[in-house]
Amino acid sequence: MSTETIPSTVAPAVHSRGNRKQARRNTLIGWTFILPNFLGFLAFTLIPVLAAFALSFMEWTSFTAPKWVGLANFQRMFASDSFWIALRNTVVYAIGHVPLTMALALLLAMLLNRKLKGIGFFRVAIFFPYITSLVAVAVVWNMLFSPDNGPINQFLTTIGIANPPGWTSSSDWALPAVIITSVWRDMGYYMVLYLAGLQAIPAELYEAAEVDGASAWQRFWNVTIPSLRPTTFFVVVMLTVSSFKVFDLIVVMTNGGPGRSTTVLSQLIYQEGIGEGKFGYSSAISLVLFLIVLTVTVLQFKIQQRRER
Amino acid sequence: MTNMAEDLKAESRLLGTGLPPNSAEEDRRTERRRSPREQKKRTTDLVIYAALVVLVAALMVPFIWMVSSSLKENNQVLTVPIQWIPTEFVWSNYTDIWTRIPMMGYLQNSLYLAVIITCLQVLTGSLAAYGFSKVRFPGRDVLFLAYIGTIAVPWQAYMVPQYIMMQNLGLTNSFNALILLQAFGAFGVFLMRQYYMTIPDELCEAARIDGLSEYGIWARVILPLSKPALASLALLTFVNTWNDYMGPFIYLTSNRLWTVQLGLRSFVGQFDAEYAMIMTGSVISVIPILAIFLIGQRYFIQGIATSGMKG
Amino acid sequence: MKRTTLAAIALAVTAGLGLSGCAGAAGPAEPQGQEGKTRLTVSVWNYEGTPEFKALFDSYEAANPDIDIEPVDILADDYPQKVTTMLAGGDTTDVLTMKNVIDYARYANNGQLQEINGVVDTVGKDNLAGLDAFDIGGKYYAAPYRQDFWLLYYNKDLLKAAGVENPADLTWDEYTALAKKLTTEAGGKKVYGTYHHIWRSVVQAIAAAQDDADQNSGDYGFFEDQYNTALDLQKSGATLDFGTAKSQKTSYRTMFETGQAAMMPMGTWYIAGILQAKKDGKSTVDWGLAPMPQKNDDGKVTTFGSPTAFAVNKNAAHSDAAKKFIEWAAGEEGAKAISKIGVVPALQNDAITAEYFKLAGMPTDELSKKAFTPDKVALEMPVSDKSAATDKVLNQEHDLIMVGERSVSDGVAEMGKRVKSEVLGQ
Repeated sequence: MSTETIPSTVAPAVHSRGNRKQARRNTLIGWTFILPNFLGFLAFTLIPVLAAFALSFMEWTSFTAPKWVGLANFQRMFASDSFWIALRNTVVYAIGHVPLTMALALLLAMLLNRKLKGIGFFRVAIFFPYITSLVAVAVVWNMLFSPDNGPINQFLTTIGIANPPGWTSSSDWALPAVIITSVWRDMGYYMVLYLAGLQAIPAELYEAAEVDGASAWQRFWNVTIPSLRPTTFFVVVMLTVSSFKVFDLIVVMTNGGPGRSTTVLSQLIYQEGIGEGKFGYSSAISLVLFLIVLTVTVLQFKIQQRRER
Repeated sequence: MTNMAEDLKAESRLLGTGLPPNSAEEDRRTERRRSPREQKKRTTDLVIYAALVVLVAALMVPFIWMVSSSLKENNQVLTVPIQWIPTEFVWSNYTDIWTRIPMMGYLQNSLYLAVIITCLQVLTGSLAAYGFSKVRFPGRDVLFLAYIGTIAVPWQAYMVPQYIMMQNLGLTNSFNALILLQAFGAFGVFLMRQYYMTIPDELCEAARIDGLSEYGIWARVILPLSKPALASLALLTFVNTWNDYMGPFIYLTSNRLWTVQLGLRSFVGQFDAEYAMIMTGSVISVIPILAIFLIGQRYFIQGIATSGMKG
Repeated sequence: MKRTTLAAIALAVTAGLGLSGCAGAAGPAEPQGQEGKTRLTVSVWNYEGTPEFKALFDSYEAANPDIDIEPVDILADDYPQKVTTMLAGGDTTDVLTMKNVIDYARYANNGQLQEINGVVDTVGKDNLAGLDAFDIGGKYYAAPYRQDFWLLYYNKDLLKAAGVENPADLTWDEYTALAKKLTTEAGGKKVYGTYHHIWRSVVQAIAAAQDDADQNSGDYGFFEDQYNTALDLQKSGATLDFGTAKSQKTSYRTMFETGQAAMMPMGTWYIAGILQAKKDGKSTVDWGLAPMPQKNDDGKVTTFGSPTAFAVNKNAAHSDAAKKFIEWAAGEEGAKAISKIGVVPALQNDAITAEYFKLAGMPTDELSKKAFTPDKVALEMPVSDKSAATDKVLNQEHDLIMVGERSVSDGVAEMGKRVKSEVLGQ
């Protein structure tokens, strides 16, 4: 946790033959903990996911038996404009959405992690965007973004921007508009996670830092941030994953438009798969999506592990 | 090691909470003196209040529209320009909705699903998380990555294979299908594992020396310490289950099994939708979430060390 | 120890609840099939909000006491997705309602539906509007019972105030001029001359119908005139602009029922909706129907529409009963049952039309009746396995032209290019 604590392994790593028994015991114990969840996970998530991956090498309409086509789906995908546009939009969305949401969620959690009268109310209020009906979110934000008479552009005009963006009615600005709305919507959700993470930081770490004469900023940087690392890893991975899977908000807010300017991969997967019955092709897209997210996650996992040591 | 954990506990007892020691209590105690430092603190509080009020106002705007729309005639909802205050308050929406659709039954179904799925998710998730964070065995990290990996696959991609499997097991059109699908997700395992990583291993070590088994450590040391994480997992799982639409839509066919989200969508017709009713139902369906949140958020105040002592 | 006990109790409760299965099912009880009756299952969307289904089922049950119809109620929004998923799982629902011809093409081409030529012959091929759409190589896999087509709704008061009594035989140019004339702004309340909903069909399907062109062809020059008309209306402020209508999810019902739009091209399904709104006192609009504006002024009325049909599932549990039901629903009896609630049946003859205009609240003027009998109703979208993919491309490009990001000629060219490369594989 901090530099003072000596890293310890709970069940020591295996070094010699004599420890083999210990290792076997650990494996057994580990599995008994994991098993209740793993059984359900294996049967109802992992197997269907693997089945979907297998489908990406086949052609399947869901009415007739699947037919092996090798890499044809992937060839078609890489040759398709729509795929590259959706991939680009998804990546841009993630790059905008992940850091902004993370920073704001942490900021809010810090702000709300204190004893104040009515703090419960404020915490709930910040969670509100996440539980507000998506239709309401879409209608109100689109009104705020309205190019001619929306409050956002009126404000931009008064501060001297002559040509404010067209937001959701413009191909160039629709994605930023969606990102802003999604950050607004999701920050309360991730705040809850950070709030829980903040509770795990032992108070004496702050005490010690204060005794050493650390400023508030230094305490934040040297105590809060390192202690939150596991939470941050979780938040980063979940945010990345959910950004790459974003669906509902975009469907309700712009439905991928104007044109294809906000079409994302999961929309493509939905349309091609259950929409048009090309399940092999849609599985191929999801396999690519999976590989991208997995790479990002493993990278983050390695970084996190190195820091822990 | 043991001593360290003891020290850790003892020290935090003195501090009272896991919060940085600038708590409100302290403020009150020293209010009269008002040293420059306390003065500064009060100002900070005021600034924070002001910031929060502005923030909350900004966050609530769409919700306000939702409430306002729930009090309108249907053909007054989606007007251009937006009308914030109904010309005429249609309170009857709130009485009509119970007869227009079996709202009470839908609420019960949603509640039933959300409670069971949340309980199972929290229980199995925190168990598995202990295995993934506090026990070392070969293959652990690979398995863990497989868990995270599946989160990355959009459900739209494997929904049909999954449905076919469920159909073969004879589980479709029942709550069991949804419970089995959603209770064992990777989300809870991942969340809890990350939280357990922040709990110092010394605490487990101390307990082990005291003669507790691994299961004992989980139940009596780790679990009590992870209340904030359990609360946030329970809260988020509850909200996600409650608001889920696609899952219940695909798996629950009989009207008597429908959840609130399905009920609300039944106001959407082929060519138009009754948005006034949808908004009314949405406002009603937010209330249980608020209740859960207000209960759950109280656990975000207790620090790690205080709860650790009771275990 | 207390904690472990608590945990154990929680576990027991959860397991108990979980095992008891449907104990939590608290919705309305399902009607149980009665002894000796055949239980026919029919997939429908939004059962409560789509009264035609109940009207059909009730009348059929009354006429056939040995049949018990059980609707499989599916939400309207994602109806095809759910039906596809269910069928993939081997579902045995007897009758499948085909929401549109695109889905029909997919199910039929994949062998998911039973051939019902016999049913179609009994009802009479000549009587059924929209039947051609269901012809796949001489075989019919579904029979239409309902046929919606597009016409022009107008607000009689607003037109009268502008000195136009009778918007008959309009060409698109006359319609545009009229819309501009009807646009007013008084006391902060703007009245639009017309309202074009955001669907691409408002521009594209009508252009295809009146030009007798194919929307799957990949050549879309025939869209241009219609786009110019639509954009002209939008620029002059005679209709709400597309960007606003789309982002604000503007309801066409609101626009017309609150008198914000003087005219509105829309499908016949809205007749039932506006009748209801007037009956409930939620709208005071005095409305009438006129034929769609035309490209040519030869006096012929060409519009577009789309049929709704019943089909028999390949895995149906009661195939024969299902066919009997469809024969009845597509025939005279079924047509009468749905006319009574303002739904336009596929089976059309003078008697049924006359019956239809007897509905309380229907406008009775001659023009409205004329609007109801167009000379030609083209299909909104051709029946083809390409239609779904084309539809997607045309929608995306439609957006771009309507928000003014692409010029009409560029947009139309891009549509052709994309459909050719992405759909037709040229």
